[in-house]
Amino acid sequence: MSNSHDHDHRPPAPMVDEVSDFEVLEVAVRELCIEKGLFTQDDHNEWTEYMHTLGPLPASRLVAKAWLDEDYKQLCIDDPVKASLDVGIDWINTMPTKFGTPSDYCNPRILVDTPTLKHVVVCTLCSCYPRPILGQSPEWYRTPNYRRRLVRWPRQVLSEFGLQLPEDVEIRVADSNQKTRYVVMPTRPEGTEGWSEDQLAEIVTRDCLIGVAMPRVDRKADDKRPIHRAVHPFGH
Amino acid sequence: MSKPIPLLEQIGKDGRVWADLCEEYGVDNPDPPWRITLESTCEVLNEGACVLPSLERRDEEDDIVEDHYKHIPHPERQLLALAHTMILRGVITEEDLAQHMKVIEARLNAV
Amino acid sequence: MSSNHHAEKATGIGDPQCFKGEAGDPKFNVGDRVRIRNLPDIFYTRSQMYLREAEAVVVKLVYESPPAEDEAWDNTDSPEWFYSLLFKQTDLWPDYPTKYAGDTLETELSERWLESV
Repeated sequence: MSNSHDHDHRPPAPMVDEVSDFEVLEVAVRELCIEKGLFTQDDHNEWTEYMHTLGPLPASRLVAKAWLDEDYKQLCIDDPVKASLDVGIDWINTMPTKFGTPSDYCNPRILVDTPTLKHVVVCTLCSCYPRPILGQSPEWYRTPNYRRRLVRWPRQVLSEFGLQLPEDVEIRVADSNQKTRYVVMPTRPEGTEGWSEDQLAEIVTRDCLIGVAMPRVDRKADDKRPIHRAVHPFGH
Repeated sequence: MSKPIPLLEQIGKDGRVWADLCEEYGVDNPDPPWRITLESTCEVLNEGACVLPSLERRDEEDDIVEDHYKHIPHPERQLLALAHTMILRGVITEEDLAQHMKVIEARLNAV
Repeated sequence: MSSNHHAEKATGIGDPQCFKGEAGDPKFNVGDRVRIRNLPDIFYTRSQMYLREAEAVVVKLVYESPPAEDEAWDNTDSPEWFYSLLFKQTDLWPDYPTKYAGDTLETELSERWLESV
């Protein structure tokens, strides 16, 4: 145990000081898999390192740059792989498998909202998500509730997220059932005139990039989502 | 509906979920430290041997969670569902898992 | 079943980019109206049930790739063109409110799933 705390007189950060059954279970499952040769420790480490890099959102900066630069916005539409490179994301080369992960592939697509067109993304089949540029998906995105209901009752689901849109706005649900991974480029809100790229990126939260929220000048973090059971479940 | 697996039922019942641990210890990390390693396990099972292809696992996970672990929060429920799927498919046995857990618990709790 | 079958082919190039040029001429163009065929699902499909027999408009030719139905069995010999298709929600769901008749859904299917209207 280090003595650094004596020097700076700050109490140590709280930590959970017990080992839960879940923690033990996770290790057990993983080690049994390795013992049985289902994967190697190295494979697993490579993925864990990659997962740790999926943090704050390059996609937020992509949108902010596009809002500030019409040419870059066009690049986002015409060549999203190239546009992603400008925010530090290489869809082709930097994933653990070096050609896109088995589930992420290399075909990002930016869906551009307009004042009369609102996109929202789902994967009804399994919850595919543009992880390289958007990080790990939120839990609600993976629930059967969201996946089954968004395609069929998008306005209801969006209103549960706090988003209500008038009749003359077309809501377009994008179901990423194949190799394309969608990111929504929302419209730039009023009140952001003269803002820097950093300031703009801050309000383009993950929920905005999925399409269930719209950027607001006063919001830099997504709301916590309760998970609801499917009211109208159906099979596909 | 698949049969419950006693070992996992017990963990679900008696295990302390991250939210409770956070509250007790005054920690505010949203996720337990093993969440990312769990995600990696799921991903790496998709590759190579393709033992548990992603689409099948997701569907099975949904059903298993619905049948047995509805009352358990995430990511604990994802962990239980994965263990459950693997036992159902004969990839690991309940006995092996219980045995391994004893060894690991001793190891993690050793001073 | 291995998902690393075309690992070498795709390294440094990307998937689906590595299949570019292999599907031949596309049968459909942007603006074409198509109907989704109700092909039998043998074991595995990435064509959603809710799309079957609905009509759509081709909005983009997105890439060439082995269809998921083949790829799942490691058969990457016959890439097809993949199309992004736009559906009207009122065509997909009988009870979709008509006051939101402008709402749409976009998703991708490979050529084998499409027939001309």
